[in-house]
Amino acid sequence: MTTSLLILHGLLATALLGGLTHQTAALLWPARGGDGFLDAYRSVKAARFTRVNAALYVIVFALGAAIYPAYRIGVRTWIERARLWDISGLFELKEQTLAIGLALLPFFWLVWRDPKERETRLARLVVTALLCAIVWYAFIAGHIVNNVRGLFGQ
Amino acid sequence: MIALRMSGLFAAAFAIAYTVAFEGHYELFSYHPKLGAFGWGQEAMRDGPVMHWYGAIATGALVGAAACALAWPLRRRLAPPIWLGWAVPLACVGAWGWLLRGFFLR
Repeated sequence: MTTSLLILHGLLATALLGGLTHQTAALLWPARGGDGFLDAYRSVKAARFTRVNAALYVIVFALGAAIYPAYRIGVRTWIERARLWDISGLFELKEQTLAIGLALLPFFWLVWRDPKERETRLARLVVTALLCAIVWYAFIAGHIVNNVRGLFGQ
Repeated sequence: MIALRMSGLFAAAFAIAYTVAFEGHYELFSYHPKLGAFGWGQEAMRDGPVMHWYGAIATGALVGAAACALAWPLRRRLAPPIWLGWAVPLACVGAWGWLLRGFFLR
């Protein structure tokens, strides 16, 4: 059951990563009318990603919270016994930043309600980029921790 | 616009309360994963490890909701500034990087 949830957690996290990166790229680096791959990547309507990204964040977070006890018992204990403090720290930082990101979601949702509003432009830029950075970090840290025994088990 | 300002206040209050709760051991509850048992406040290990993360999130959410409830009557005269919603969480993420530096400097 935990393995199935972990795989689902990873798959949905990949979708969230893609969605948030699209939204952030379109916001920070808007397309200027070219027809290359990068122009196509950035020319999405960023506001349309808001609801799906927020919903995916909540679902991925809930799945991660559900499998966390299995990690705490079976994986973190091993990491500490192996004295892999930097790997343990990677996960610590992941859980803290993700919790702060969760509380940012209502604000994220509302700053995107009117994407042309000038008063909220800076807030839109920072909160979207911050959530994107948090999800990228959590994704990479999660992968390292998930593969810790294969990578560092010797 | 008031909902946006209140959500910013919630994010800021949550980020501060969560950070203080985790570092100061003010979690609302603890969870013992091996026993499947909960306990109020910060409990020590019983049989196996203890988890404080869920309790710290609950503390953050409670303080965030309380901050919004207290600010609601003053919303016309003293509306929370929009920057609160991104500057404080951003600072708290940076603070966590600093607080956890010991893991990477051993």
